[in-house]
Amino acid sequence: MANLETQVLDEIIVKGRRKLLTLGSAALAGLVLGGTKEAKAATAYTDADILNFALNLEYLEANYYYIAAFGCTIDTPNAAAIAAGAPTGGIPISSSTFVGTPGGPVSMTGANMVNFTGQTAIGAYATETAIEEGKHVLFLQGALSSAAVAQPLINLTTAWQMLGGALTPAAPTFSPYSSYAAFLLGAYVFEDVGVTAYHGAASLLTVSGNLSAAAGILGVEAYHAGLVRTTISTSTDPNITGTVSTAVSISNLRAALSKAGLLGSTTVPINDTNPDDLGPSPVAVTLAGMTGYTSSKIVNCDATNAIAFARNTTQVLNIVTGGGAVNGTTAVSPAKGIFYTNGMNAGPNGFK
Amino acid sequence: MDSRLKPFIDKALSRRTFLAGAGSVAAVGLMAGCSNDGTTTGGGGGGGGGTGAYTDLDILNFALNLEYLEAQFYLYAATGKGLTAANTMAPTGYTGTYTMGTVTPGNSAMVAGTTTAQQQIINEIAAEEQNHVQFLRSALGAAAVPMPSIDLSFFGPLALALTPAVASFNPYASFDAFLIGAFIFEDVGVTAYAGAAPLISAAGVTSGFLNYAAGILAVEAYHAAYIRTALTARAISMGATSPTSSVYPYVGIANQVEALRASLTVGNSGAPGSGNTGNTGAAGSSGSVEVALNVPQSPTQASAIVAADSVHAIGFARNVNQVHHIVYGSPTVGVAKGGFFPNGTNSIFSTTTA
Repeated sequence: MANLETQVLDEIIVKGRRKLLTLGSAALAGLVLGGTKEAKAATAYTDADILNFALNLEYLEANYYYIAAFGCTIDTPNAAAIAAGAPTGGIPISSSTFVGTPGGPVSMTGANMVNFTGQTAIGAYATETAIEEGKHVLFLQGALSSAAVAQPLINLTTAWQMLGGALTPAAPTFSPYSSYAAFLLGAYVFEDVGVTAYHGAASLLTVSGNLSAAAGILGVEAYHAGLVRTTISTSTDPNITGTVSTAVSISNLRAALSKAGLLGSTTVPINDTNPDDLGPSPVAVTLAGMTGYTSSKIVNCDATNAIAFARNTTQVLNIVTGGGAVNGTTAVSPAKGIFYTNGMNAGPNGFK
Repeated sequence: MDSRLKPFIDKALSRRTFLAGAGSVAAVGLMAGCSNDGTTTGGGGGGGGGTGAYTDLDILNFALNLEYLEAQFYLYAATGKGLTAANTMAPTGYTGTYTMGTVTPGNSAMVAGTTTAQQQIINEIAAEEQNHVQFLRSALGAAAVPMPSIDLSFFGPLALALTPAVASFNPYASFDAFLIGAFIFEDVGVTAYAGAAPLISAAGVTSGFLNYAAGILAVEAYHAAYIRTALTARAISMGATSPTSSVYPYVGIANQVEALRASLTVGNSGAPGSGNTGNTGAAGSSGSVEVALNVPQSPTQASAIVAADSVHAIGFARNVNQVHHIVYGSPTVGVAKGGFFPNGTNSIFSTTTA
């Protein structure tokens, strides 16, 4: 191997997400984290733990889109949901074999179907995404079988106002159900995170078939994210162009929560940067050796290598709980807050 | 895990077997009778997941070939110029046998008549594909293959191969034509990376190669989503009532591209799920790796932005042979060049073996 390549690989090995995720390992604690205080990271996690982490996220996403598109939750589809392709019996959220504390159906008090009248494209996107996220729940449940976790207690109502209050500038009355434009922002909150979560998980999976599935779902989440960011970025509807700045502030908030999830480590993975989240604001680029070009920012990726960001489970947890996964430089488990009132459901060595 | 994952495991094994040829997995009989050409085992030796037939570097170099193609297409669309020589020549210390090719530009030029916002989109995709070339070359170091010859005049013949044929197609003629040109590549890029990711060795995973592949896969999917969303949204905004509506025929043309891609996806389908032992050639069918675009007529009708299987909503994968069939424009097994790559890819996978 060439020297340059060796150097690159050494850097990757030191900085790789895989190491960040296994930082409970004594051998790596010194190498990667120096004096950082470590959490009780799962040292003996399995593919099932990783897939269950994804399942918790899919419960959240699927319910959001079902509410927005159909006005129901995933377990009790209404006629509109069934007409669009939802399973007639609903998607199970608990069973006698599911792991963890069942959180029950998501409360819809303060949530409602979005009014998409006259917005054929955006309504169609919501409908498509709802059905696809529901299929991800079903797929992961089937793949995990009796190891699958039950749907945890999920807050998709007041959580939005909590999240809005944390934005800069604060939007403490934000509701994604209030308009088609607000719906896009709600989707924006989730989709890029799903991409980073599956990306971070891919290298941790040990069974080839699981990796194939995770790579496939990663692609779908990125399609969803691309759809949302395209619509926000390219619309000429003033109601939507007015959301761009909020999307940027959502990215900024996620980046801050993600950074905190690194638990004080200044080591940033090679394809990552700080911030690890970029809103849809145009940027300057050099093309074919020539400067002076302006690029949109549909894709949430680093500016140098154009590789999507990856996040470890602590970073993802810290985002979806609004900072509940970190206390200073120490991980908190279970992480609670915002969308996950009581935290996620997980097996004994799982991520929560 | 359990039986639900079995099809995926089988799929991954079959993909690995496609690639492995004489490797140990093939030896168990899944691929009896398949032999590789002489170049296959000469690609650098060992480390490719234990079979010895290919290495992680071969997989990244395969991806680099595709990125060269995409980068050239988009850079010309954005600027009228292509990759700089520094991004196409063999790297310092390169000891391989591949040589740098040339670009046949065809109609290549800045896309005509774009709005500022449309130009910024073209610029973005160009910048990101250019960065992928630079990144892969950097990651591969002296092992990076130089750019193969690329023929950007192939869009015309490809369009004539559609059913019905589209005459005089020029992807640089308008923004909508550009969307069709981009559409030819983007979903394919997603599936190529999805097919490649599980082939990376355990050592390659530790080295970060899987992280790269997954991260680039996501970026390709963002791009694909952009193209599919733009086509769908423009059709709706112009009042199209079907993909072939005369007020905006481009969705229909994109679907014809899908049908052609499906017919070129030779062999075992990369569609997730069981029983996909052949590609039916029909987008949206259970064995196909394509999902046709639609033009929703109401908010309650689902769009078809995402290319994923209809049961699990999991993205598709293609193996290296299937990707080569598409970029060569030939379903014939054993073909080593053609289409966008008139001298073949600079890859040990350049000759299709299935």
